[in-house]
Order: sequence, then C-alpha cells, then structure tokens
Amino acid sequence: MKLFTGLAITGAMALLAATTALADVEIRITHPMSSGAGKEAFDTIVAAFEAANPGVTVKQIVFDDDIYSDTGLITQLQSNEVPDIYFQWAGYPVQRDVEAGYAYDLSAAMSDGWKDTFIESAFSPGSGTAFDGKIYMVPISLDVTNTIWYNKTIFAENGLVPPATWDDFLALVKVLAAAGETPIVTGNNELWPLGNWASHIAARTVPSAEYDAAFRQQKTFAEAGFLKPLELMQGLAEAGAFNKDMQGLGADPAMAAFFQEAAAMHPIGSWLVGSEGDLAVEGFDYGQFDTPVIDPAMNGSKSVIGTMTGFVQHAKAAHPAEATAFLKFLTSQDEAVRWAQSGAISPVEGVAEKANLSPQMKGMADMLAGADAMVSPPDTTYPVPVAEAYYQAAAYAASGEKSAADALTWLDETVGAMPKP
Amino acid sequence: MADRNNRHRPISTGASNLLFVAPAMLVFGLFVLWPLASSVYYAFTSWSGYAAPDWVGLDNFRRAIFDDPVHLASYLHVTLYILGTLVLEVSFGLVMAVMLNSDRPGYSIMRGMFFSPMVLSMTAAGVLWAFVLDYRLGLLNSVLRGVGLQDWAQPWLSQSSTALIAIMFVSGWKFSGFYMVIFFAALRRIPRSIYEAATLDGATPVKQFFTITLPLLRQQMLTCVLLAVTGGFAGFDLFFTMTNGGPFDTTQVPATWIIRQGFDNNQLGYATAMTVILAVVVLIVSIIYLRLTERGDHVRH
Amino acid sequence: MSAISRRSPGEWLQLALGGAVVCAMFYPAVWMVLSSFKTNREIFKHPFGLPNDWKWSNFAEAWDKGGLGGLYLNSVIVTATAVTLTVCLATAAAFAFSRLEFPGRRWLYRILLIGLLLPPPVVAIPLFAILRDLGLLNTLTALVLAGTAWSLSLTIFIMTGYFNSIRPDMEEAAMLEGANIWQIFRDISVPMVWPSMLTLAIVNTINIWNELMFALLFIVDDEKRTLPVGLIRFFGRYSTDYAMVFAALTITTVPILALYFLLQRHVIAGLSATAMD
Repeated sequence: MKLFTGLAITGAMALLAATTALADVEIRITHPMSSGAGKEAFDTIVAAFEAANPGVTVKQIVFDDDIYSDTGLITQLQSNEVPDIYFQWAGYPVQRDVEAGYAYDLSAAMSDGWKDTFIESAFSPGSGTAFDGKIYMVPISLDVTNTIWYNKTIFAENGLVPPATWDDFLALVKVLAAAGETPIVTGNNELWPLGNWASHIAARTVPSAEYDAAFRQQKTFAEAGFLKPLELMQGLAEAGAFNKDMQGLGADPAMAAFFQEAAAMHPIGSWLVGSEGDLAVEGFDYGQFDTPVIDPAMNGSKSVIGTMTGFVQHAKAAHPAEATAFLKFLTSQDEAVRWAQSGAISPVEGVAEKANLSPQMKGMADMLAGADAMVSPPDTTYPVPVAEAYYQAAAYAASGEKSAADALTWLDETVGAMPKP
Repeated sequence: MADRNNRHRPISTGASNLLFVAPAMLVFGLFVLWPLASSVYYAFTSWSGYAAPDWVGLDNFRRAIFDDPVHLASYLHVTLYILGTLVLEVSFGLVMAVMLNSDRPGYSIMRGMFFSPMVLSMTAAGVLWAFVLDYRLGLLNSVLRGVGLQDWAQPWLSQSSTALIAIMFVSGWKFSGFYMVIFFAALRRIPRSIYEAATLDGATPVKQFFTITLPLLRQQMLTCVLLAVTGGFAGFDLFFTMTNGGPFDTTQVPATWIIRQGFDNNQLGYATAMTVILAVVVLIVSIIYLRLTERGDHVRH
Repeated sequence: MSAISRRSPGEWLQLALGGAVVCAMFYPAVWMVLSSFKTNREIFKHPFGLPNDWKWSNFAEAWDKGGLGGLYLNSVIVTATAVTLTVCLATAAAFAFSRLEFPGRRWLYRILLIGLLLPPPVVAIPLFAILRDLGLLNTLTALVLAGTAWSLSLTIFIMTGYFNSIRPDMEEAAMLEGANIWQIFRDISVPMVWPSMLTLAIVNTINIWNELMFALLFIVDDEKRTLPVGLIRFFGRYSTDYAMVFAALTITTVPILALYFLLQRHVIAGLSATAMD
C-alpha cells in the first residue's frame, strides 16, 4: 500500500515540479534529531521528498540536542551560508529569532488553506508559533516535556498502582525506597530535566499570574509563592526519591538506566517513547501517569507541561520556494502520519486518530485531550538565565544540598543580580 | 623561554629582518590578538548574539566583580585546582622522573607508558573516566563494592564534596607525564659523579634526592610551577568534558563559566567582559612570571 | 652477566614501585582496548578479564556507524596542514628572534606570550565573528588557521630557546663569506635545528589532532567534521553501547599512541631542549 501512495505522491509532485520549474537546488535543513525512530522517519520523509522533486536535494545538518541549542544553531544562523530551514522550540526562541530577523513570515504561504490542515490551537496566541498575527513556525510535534514514566514490573512486584494524589505519590516513593529500589532516576547535569518537572509542579501550586510575574522578574520568587514547590522537591529528597548521582548524570544515560530497569520511575518528556527500541531490555514493560494532583482547589490541577516543536524557514534562505515546499510536504497527511508513528503527537488535524500509535503514545494523546491547561516550559517561554536559576534552585532542594528556604533565598539573590529586561 | 640573557650577538640588523617574523605575526595577530582586542568592545555591551549589541558601559564589569558569586567562586576553584596540580602533577612528576631514571632495559618503555595519557585526547580521557567514576556501573565503585566497602562507593562527579577532587586526580593522571619528561631530561644532565661521590660519603638515596637533586632542579621546578599556574587558568577541556561546571557550579572555572554565560545563556556581552577580566588576571600572572624567570636567570649566572 | 648489571636491592625496589605506578597509570588505556573486544554484557559482568571471545567485528561496526573514515581524513588534512604551517612559520620567526635584530623585536616576542597564557575558548566568540567575516566558517581552512595561530606561541618559544642554545658560529662564518640572510636560514640554520622541528611537529600533532573547541564551533557540515567532534556525537548516540564506544575510542587513539611510542625519543629530547630551562 505504501508503495502505491508513494507513487501517487511522486506523480503529483512531478506535475508540480514541472509547473513551478524547480531547478537543481540543495536545501539545507538543520535539526537535533540525531538518533532513534524519529531520525529514521525523518530520513524516510526526506528521501520521499527528494524522489518527488527531481533536482532538489535535501542536506541535513544534525547536531545532538544540547550542542544544537547551545552553539550548533546560533553559529549557523550567524554564518554566511545560513540553513534554509531550522528546527526550533516554540515560544521565546522563535520570538527571539523574529526580533533578530532570522525567521521568515510564512503567513502568505499559509493563507492558501495550508494553515487549516493544522489543529486550531497550533497558531493561537500563546502557542509560540505566531507573533502579532504572523506565522513563523511550522509545528511538527506537540511535545509533552515532562510526565512520569514507570516500570510496570517493578510497580507490580511492590503492589503499587499509579497514584492519584501527591500524598499517594510520596507514600509510593517511600515504599520503593524501603524495598531497595531507586524510586526515581533523573539525569540532571544540564538542569532542564528536573527543572521542567519542578516548573510543572510550580505551575500547579503557584497562581499563574504570580508564576508569570516571577519569571519575568517583576516579583521575587519568594513573593510569588515558590516556597511550596521547592518544599515538595525537598520532601521527595527526604523520602529518598532520587538517584544519588542525579547532578552528574546526563539526560540520556538516565533514560538508559530507566530502560535497563535500574529505577522504578523516570520523569521526562514524550520523546522517551522514540528511544525504547534502542535502549530497552527485552520484555521491558512501562506505562505513564502525569504529576498527581497536588491541590485540587487550584486551577490547572490537570494541566500538562509541553510545547510545540517544529521548523522555521530562514528569512535569508537561498531557496525559499523549495524550503516552503518541503515544509508543506512534511506536514501533508501521509508524511505527518509517518512522523507521528515514530513517536510524536502531530499538530496536523486528524493525524493522531489516523496514525497507528503505541499504547504509550496513545496515553499521551489522551492526556493532552483531557488537560485543563497547558503549561510551557520556562526555558522556552522566559529569558533562559532566569529559567535556569529556578531549575538550579529546584535541583538544590531535590538533592538535599540546600533546604527549600535556602534554595529560595539563593534563587532570589541570583535572579536579583541579573539585568532586568 | 629564556630570552635576553641567553641571546647571542645578532648576525644582522635592520627592518628587513621583520620579514622572517611577519608571516607568523600575521597569523597570530589575525586569529589571536585581533579577536582579543575586538572582544573589548563587546564587553561594554549587552549582546545576545541574535540582535545588535547595546552599549551598557561598565555594567557587565560591575556585575562580574560584585554581583556574580559563581564568577568569583570560579577563581577560587581554579586556584584550588592549581594547588592540587602542584602536588598531583608537578611533585608526582618529579618523583616519577627520579624513579624512572635508569638505563636498565624496560625503563624507556615505562617512561613512554607513564607519558601516554598526555597523548590521549581529552574527549577519549573524559569518556574513559566517566566510565571509571560512574556511580552505578563505574569501575571504581564496582571494586569498592566488590571488596565490601559499599559505604565508600560515592557518586564522585555528582556531589559538591568530591567533584573537584576527582577532577584533580584525573588531571594528575593526564598531565603528570609532561612534568616527568621535563624533570627527567634535566636529571640526565646532572653528572653521575656527583651521586657516586655522595654514595661514597654514605649518603642514602633519599638524602641525595634532597641535597643534590632538588637544588639542581631548582630552575626546572620554577618553570614547572609557572606552567602549572598558567596552564591551570587556561584549563577548559578537562572541566568541560568531566562535569561542565557542575554539580551546582562547584567545578566552575573561569573558562567554563564564560562559555556557559556566552553560549548557553546567550549573554555574549557579559561573557566577553569576563574574558577581558580573565585576560587581565592572566596578564598580571604573566608579568610576575617574567619577573621570576628574570630573577631565576640572575641566580644562575 | 657481569657484576655491573646485577641489580641492587634498591634497584629492585625502584623497579617494583615504578612499575606498579606505571601499570596503574597505563591500565585505563589497556582496559579500553580490551573492552573494545567484548560484548556489552561482558564489559559489565567481567570488567577486568580478557575477552571471552575476541569480537573484531566491533571495530568494523564502529567504523561504519561512526563514519570514522571521513572523520579520519579530515583530521589528517587539518593536522598535517596546520602542523607544517606552524613549524615553518615558527622556525622562521624563532630564527629572527634569536639571530637577527630588528625594530620591535622585544615587544613582538612579549606579545607572543599572550598566546601561551590564554585559553583559546575565551576568544571563541570574537574569533567566530572574524572567521564569518572572512567567509571561512564551515571550512577546514578555519581549523587550520585557528589551530596554527594558537600553536605558534609555544612553538616559537621552544624553537627560540633551541636557537639560543647553539652558538651562531656557522652563521657568522657564512655571513663573512657573503651569503645573504635567506641563504643562511635555508642552508645552515634549518638543517641545524631540523631535529627540533621534528619534535615540535610531533608535539603539535598531538595537540591539533585532539583539538575540540574550534572544531565544535566552526564546523557545521557532517562531512567536514574532525575526529574529536565526530566522537562526541558518536558517544551521544551510542551512549549506552559501551562496546561500540570503546571500539571507536581504540580505533582513534591507538594510531596516535603508536606514533608517540615510535618517536618517543624525539619528543622527550625536544621537550627537554634548553627552552624548558
């Protein structure tokens, strides 16, 4: 069947190629998808695009995640030979690219009905893909940046079930710790893995206006009420929740440790699913539950933390027409389904239903559908140094290096020394 | 590094002789001096690397010196690290140079083996040691658990109390061979008759080390100490691959903090201000260094 | 066996102690090579023993998966060019600093010191901007020029020290016979310091071969990456496949180790030249 669809697309694109007379060109795409099922799917889509567009070749410039966001992307954006298309996280990063003149306004290209192929919220204000009514990013995935993955076997051995409330959760952690298991493994040497989770917990315990004011440096974190989330982190530390080496461990080795049954739980994003094939031991059985309800009285007690990721077309792309054509191809139904099946939740309308999703991905999609609010990760929403300072404060409390109160004092002193926007 | 005092009379004078240094100075000027000089401008700006830089006067310097505890702490860490290297690299290198100073078969290959960590790339060394020091699966902890010392097994690179010390040991492993070679070469130039005479006088090898070897190696020790100090300030690769400043900035040294602020946090203006500060510190060290070598030369002549 | 070659108890102690330390220092490298022949399971189950079954296929697999061939080629191109350039420019400059007099000599020599004391990463940002303006980003030329520039200081210092340790009698004699400076440099001085040039070539080869920071920042394309960067990516991707990681490490470090052992005498002789006094 796939072969036939492929042929049909090839035919259609050949016609398109004939009419728009695409010349012999190379488009350059840079992204951090360096391994796993996602990379395979993307390679397949690229190959299909090249087959459908004779004369157009796609060159992928790939960096690992951390290197991409630290130096890989910025060095390319500033070079003389800019990438035509680059991967970006929705929110603050895209906004910054718009201000610096790197992001191309795709509104005109979107106006021919392309925009309507996405779910409604894809370009809503606050989505981080559009600013001042202009669209700058083509989203390809809705990433849940933190949820709690658990090892079903270890849970069953200890007679445990996913908790409904924070108190249940804490009790469960204590049971696991007493049984000699590592309850939670996290690789926090880059600070964002635990930081994301701590931010989600903060968003559940701090009123949203206060939360926003603190990260925008309009209020101190103490005034905004961030003691509570840090105390929850401290409580986990006291219950013996975390692996001892979390501050020195990388995100990838921590994920590997979870897949090798070295810990019962692993709080990380939806992309974990894509690494199962590479990392999991045989017969590995896992499930997922979201951060349990902390305070039922608070708004967003069933919130989900997440963001969209996708591609931005560079304003100075050497081959803008071909670049846009690729982005359209990438988000066309068939390709979006292919992409979703590699372990992503697609923002393209109807794809989530059509794609053949794993139980874990299905759980993610359901969770998103049932969420009463969406929280964005601070490091893609607010200035990075402020976000990182909170992440570090959370790590202080979670590792037992500082008490929650001391971590909060440290946080406000650190952020206080930063220049105000 | 000896310049003035050892120099012979020039065989030719004149501006045309500049041609011999011009190519080297051109490359050096373009890719070392010019970037350094141009960074001075960015140091006075707020610049994310994305939008155009904004002039902010001395703000960056004020922040670096008064409001950034991690920046100040990074100088403490680098000082501790340098003190550590004096013991684990320079002194250890000296002891091993004496130990491996023999013409017996096998010693040449042993010196080569001792030097070999110098040849490995920092990337390779970093991966190797990450595996040795890993908490869960690492060699070191496996050995400790194997011999019944469970409580001694530590997350070496993940806790503030041990991370910097662990790095010092890895540094000692990596670089002590360099100092060994320098001391070894100097030892070879000490006439053997001095030791033979001392032996006849009944001096033990340990006494000979302190009364003959150490005084004669004074000049090399001065050089090595200074190389360790200046090399310590330049240290980046080791810290970057081992901990990248963590946990909780307790292994943050000036170079890693500059890169963190500049690239991770997109504060290139602030990062360049700290670069300028580092350059000034290094310059002061280099002046002291020049004074010391000049004095050393006087002592010798 | 003559009496001279019999070891005294002190010498036995020296051999035992020295040997133990050397073995401990060298063990990680041996362990790396042995592990590269094992399976993942074996690395964890029997970290210290010899491999049960020598898995040579690990190397072929690492070579293919990591695209090590291309990385090797780039590293060889960059290293060979930069080392040649460094040693040639440095020898000419050291000759001038030691043998000739010209305006600004002392100052230029002192300015060079900056390169010895400053860590390259601190100028990474402005250096990046300059390479961009020159249109050199994402080219191997950028790595060659940056690598050369940052190797010049040390090389010139050691070379100048070496020149200073040799009396300029030959050069003076040639001068009296009417040879010009260039002829003296080419025909007398270069042959004289040739062994030192070789030593410095080896030392610089080790440094430039292992250079990471510039390669990470200035190169974007996969096909232009050098070994250290390629390895970092490889480790990121196969972070849990230790057999693969050690195979890749072994393939990339054993040649440089072998080169070092072959030329060890020169390195030690060179590093200990008068420059270090």
